Amino acid sequence: MGPIFALACKDLRLLVRDKVGFFFVFGFPLLFGLFFGVIFKGAGSSQGAITILVVDDDQSEASKALIGKLTSAAEVKPIVATYEAALDQVRKGERVAYVRIPKGYGESARRPFWGTPPAFELGVDPARKAEAGMIQGVITQYAVRDVMKIFSDPDALRKQTATAIEEVSKADDLTPVQKGIMTAFFGALDSFMSLTLAPGAAATDGNKEGAEEGASIGIGGWEPVRITVNDVRADRRLSSKPNNPMDITFPQCLVWGLMGCSAAFGISLVVERTRGTLIRLRLAPIVRWHILAGKAAACFLMLLAVSGVMLVFAMVAFGVRPENYGMLAVAILCSAICFVGIMMLLSVCGKTENSAGGIGWSVLLMMAMIGGGMMPLFFMPKWMQSVASISPIKWTVLSLEGAVFRGYSLSDMALPCGVLLGIGVAGFAVGARLFTWQEGSS
Amino acid sequence: MLTVSGLIKSYDGVRRAVDGVTFEVKAREIFGLLGPNGAGKSTTIHVAVGLLAPDGGQVRIGDAGGSSGPPTDPAVRSRVGVAPQALAIYEELTGEENIRFFAQLQGLRGAELRNRTAAALQFVELHDRRRDLARTYSGGMKRRLNLAAAIVHDPQLLFLDEPTVGVDPQSRNAIFENILALRERGLTVVYTTHYMEEAQRLCDRVAIMDQGRILALDTVDGLVRAHGGKSVVVAAVDGHEARIESDDPIGELVRLKQSGPLRDFRLEQPNLERVFLNLTGRQLRD
Repeated sequence: MGPIFALACKDLRLLVRDKVGFFFVFGFPLLFGLFFGVIFKGAGSSQGAITILVVDDDQSEASKALIGKLTSAAEVKPIVATYEAALDQVRKGERVAYVRIPKGYGESARRPFWGTPPAFELGVDPARKAEAGMIQGVITQYAVRDVMKIFSDPDALRKQTATAIEEVSKADDLTPVQKGIMTAFFGALDSFMSLTLAPGAAATDGNKEGAEEGASIGIGGWEPVRITVNDVRADRRLSSKPNNPMDITFPQCLVWGLMGCSAAFGISLVVERTRGTLIRLRLAPIVRWHILAGKAAACFLMLLAVSGVMLVFAMVAFGVRPENYGMLAVAILCSAICFVGIMMLLSVCGKTENSAGGIGWSVLLMMAMIGGGMMPLFFMPKWMQSVASISPIKWTVLSLEGAVFRGYSLSDMALPCGVLLGIGVAGFAVGARLFTWQEGSS
Repeated sequence: MLTVSGLIKSYDGVRRAVDGVTFEVKAREIFGLLGPNGAGKSTTIHVAVGLLAPDGGQVRIGDAGGSSGPPTDPAVRSRVGVAPQALAIYEELTGEENIRFFAQLQGLRGAELRNRTAAALQFVELHDRRRDLARTYSGGMKRRLNLAAAIVHDPQLLFLDEPTVGVDPQSRNAIFENILALRERGLTVVYTTHYMEEAQRLCDRVAIMDQGRILALDTVDGLVRAHGGKSVVVAAVDGHEARIESDDPIGELVRLKQSGPLRDFRLEQPNLERVFLNLTGRQLRD
């Protein structure tokens, strides 16, 4: 292992000191990721709204009016769904939350000051606290807006107050003391409205004090809406859709890192030959496969390093959260083995550095074009998606996507990883054979 | 130390680069392969060190114990050092990193690795520049680094293939001194060159090669005696230049002086250049 370790260390050191090579291994893929990440992230934020599912069990005018208000709201984009569908989509992580408007909402909304307040059920993943808080605020804002409108319209408020006094007197669920307090309150409110409250006036501190007093005598504080939060833990393995635009671009930018690394090491073997250092390697008391194994080990380690850097970058900069880290490790390992094989093939493609570099990058770019390394395969026509199967890039992207957001199991991973391993082993074997043949049989 | 018997090597199956070369190199001698570019020297070296498989003949490399083996045997290879004609160093590594790397390939580890690396760099007087990248070295320094990489594992047999190509006179002298010092330490050296001055200055024995064959092999004096011809007295006599070959050039000058006024003269002693000319009809650097 000593010579292999020495060879691998030497190659890693040389790559780190080769500024152009280092850029194509680390810099370019990062720029690629940054560029597309910003584009996709920007595209997402320009919509300016969180898509929520709305379940209207009440089907009243009030519930429909509320949905209408939410539709025109800038903060959320409501989609009406059945309860089962809404629950399923939130559970799969396909949507952030659902809001269920239960039966009786319209009736409650009609009586904002007593009885059960208008209720909502908010189904949201407990991990998404920020979105949950924002949605609660939006629901409260639009539901309470009707109540506030009453305060700004004295006639409507006096009418509402008269109805309230009448209904309180008939209420069976209130004690005589409570009835007395509420009747007195509504009476005072009616007098206040008739004397002082002009159109457009807002609630004052005095209103707030009244509410606190009411609470102190056991009526309880005014609750404009009641939102019950239902924790729906999202299991994104149930979904095959990306959760984040960078879920798609992360595998692609990783592929560019793998290609850059493969090309750099492929050319390095040609450089050894043209600059004469390969002669000295061959003169050392080591066997030829030591040279190839050292090169492969260095390439493999660098491929893993590139993958690690890309992953950290995607997680930190763009919030990518792979669904299954174990599967991601398997995908990265298989991809690295595949690209070591490709490196070995590239290393025997040209006699000079220029020809090796030209041929290598041409082959890699072609593979990237047809394999989904430049644009996601689902943008391509059907026939192109079939052709893509001949490119290792497709299988690399697929295995990475499988771990990041497709929720692949080990058996799902078997095909892409098997193809990658096959390409890697075959590429290494053929490349090593050609290398041996080119270098003579001594 | 090195036995080459009936060596044949063709390229493309047609052109014979080495055609029946046979020679033997004794322990602790500096053996020169002298010939013009394309004479087959480097091919002979490449076959001798196991980089190329011969089409015919064989190479055996011995050790101090008397046993010998082919150059492809790893145990034999560890006793051999090679400084190829092309600079076989990594420009983006420091001098020290280069030497340490090649020493590791030779199986050196730990303190021995450190000591040998330092000793090799000191030997070629690059210790002070050991932490600089090799690409910052002058041509002569790179040649010395190339030499250090060949001797770091303390080989018994050292092949130097045109080690002074593209080197300034100062570095060339330093390399000569290094080679002579290595011989003093007991190394056997096989040295290829197309500079007859180098062969004359360094080599105990010289094989003159041309078109893949050894034309003559002997000590420098032996070659000159056998193939150099007579000394030539070149004198300006009676307004013209006379060239007189003679075994007794001093006696010839005396005779010229007695026969008339001698305004100018020079003496051309036979050398390896003349040996090559006599053997091939061509100049060494044609």
